[in-house]
Amino acid sequence: MNTDYIVEMKGIHKRFGGIHALKGVDLELRRGEIMGIVGDNGAGKSTLMKILSGAYVADEGEIYVDGKQAHIRSPQDAFNLGIGMIYQDLALFNNLDVARNIFIGRECARGPFGLLLDKKSMYKKTEELIQELRVDISSVRLNVARMSGGQRQMVACARAIAFESKILIMDEPTAALGVTEAGKLLGLIRNLKDRGIAILLITQRIPDVLAIADRVFVLKGGQRQAVLDVSQVTLDDVVTMIVRGKDRNGVQAPSVEYRSFG
Amino acid sequence: MSRIPWNGLRKYTVLFVLLALMGLFSLTSPYFLTLRNLTNIVTQNTYFIIVAVGLSFVMIGGGIDLSVGYQMSLVGVVTAMLMVVHNQPVWLAVTVGLLLGTGLGMINGLIVTRIKIFPLIATLATSVIFQGISYMISESKTYRNYPEEFLLFTKGNVLGIPFDVFLTLVIVILASLVYYETTFGLRVMALGGNEEASRLAGINTRRMKVALYTICGFLTAIATMVMISKANTTHSSFGPGTEFIALTAALVGGISFMGGEGNMPALVAGVFVLAVLGNGMQLANWGTYPQYIVRGLILLGAVAFDEYQRSARRLRRRSS
Repeated sequence: MNTDYIVEMKGIHKRFGGIHALKGVDLELRRGEIMGIVGDNGAGKSTLMKILSGAYVADEGEIYVDGKQAHIRSPQDAFNLGIGMIYQDLALFNNLDVARNIFIGRECARGPFGLLLDKKSMYKKTEELIQELRVDISSVRLNVARMSGGQRQMVACARAIAFESKILIMDEPTAALGVTEAGKLLGLIRNLKDRGIAILLITQRIPDVLAIADRVFVLKGGQRQAVLDVSQVTLDDVVTMIVRGKDRNGVQAPSVEYRSFG
Repeated sequence: MSRIPWNGLRKYTVLFVLLALMGLFSLTSPYFLTLRNLTNIVTQNTYFIIVAVGLSFVMIGGGIDLSVGYQMSLVGVVTAMLMVVHNQPVWLAVTVGLLLGTGLGMINGLIVTRIKIFPLIATLATSVIFQGISYMISESKTYRNYPEEFLLFTKGNVLGIPFDVFLTLVIVILASLVYYETTFGLRVMALGGNEEASRLAGINTRRMKVALYTICGFLTAIATMVMISKANTTHSSFGPGTEFIALTAALVGGISFMGGEGNMPALVAGVFVLAVLGNGMQLANWGTYPQYIVRGLILLGAVAFDEYQRSARRLRRRSS
């Protein structure tokens, strides 16, 4: 295995009933890079990422994390491998406060057999996390139902990185945000990259990808079309690739870097 | 956006309703506000509270169990027959009864999670099955005259408090601690709040659900012991109807039909709202049957209020 890559997915297939959503997709994520995942609606972006996060299980294919073969059959498996995902619908609990949202499933425990909830440490750690991320959330005891879209997004981010993920997947993080909030979030993503976290960023907003990603991975119809080096492509190149795919003529813009498709 | 803390207020709505009802009935009957009558209201409702606490676990976790009434019927006749017909010692009969109730709860949980049908329908079906088994075992006979030790459930006392009242208090306090102080309690709230997110957070939602129905079955079985000990007699028709009271009390007490919220003091107050209403109407000589109509109306009102609360919250979120 090539250890330059922190994640390698090989020949991933996924079917939903009669729909063949992923048709043998390969993906390689380098250490510490931000990779944009782009493609039209229904191209298979979220499905591919949910397989990596354990929300779905692949029908065929292999996944290697840190050079070792990984068997990801549940979100817990992915978590144990250091993979965190922020889902498009954020997967938050409207009936719970910020701290509980961040720690649910991995609570701070105390007492006999760890049965009791250590609320004090949970609140303390949440406050530290929020300061570290420079997120403006007024109270860690606020129910997330009462928060703005941007704040909810920040809670979801905090949740995903609270446990030292090595790999972070974000599904359309800027889609529901205003310009200011989206800008802040992109800043946060860069901040995470500086901390050595490799990031997979699903988005429809190609300019976002060009602004912060190192490479961009193009999917169409459940197949990998290309992996482009962001420094060498224009917005038009990416859009053309998304719309037409690799098989059509006239896509070969001079600076496009094609990688092996086999 | 309004500054009124609706969430906070809602927690206490039911307490205000309870006090208002008590005020009303103290006017309609001179006997209502007597120590004897109030004590009666408490001791007659201990087992409803225990069932409601059991049901609250299932409901806060986002499910429902309509079969608790016939679980009581089945557990009741089995426990009574072991003591009266088969002359087994009390401890053995009670142990078998509690295990049976726990098992019935677990069966509900397994059906809901494995076959994946709506809990409302699943537990309606198991309810009828439990009914059939209960009547087959009891042959629709009445069993009475339990050993003295068994009657201690309601006749004994701890520190001057009747044993069943003491037991109920312990159960309510323990349940409160579980909800607010334990990891398990937090996960129950999470499961009811957003099941898919719970799964994605690495929680084994299936196992959680089975556990919740099992807890409900266990507590329902405890309530059964209190019920048949208090009556000193059992028949397969004892128990059914409890599910309606417990469900209505839970909704009146602020436990949402959609799960994810609830607290024990309000739940207990919810049981007493129904109890005071029944007692007060009785004392005011309004008869038994109008009570059914009022109870039905209360259930409708509670569900409507629950729905209104949630849509109001949705609107507020959109506007913020």
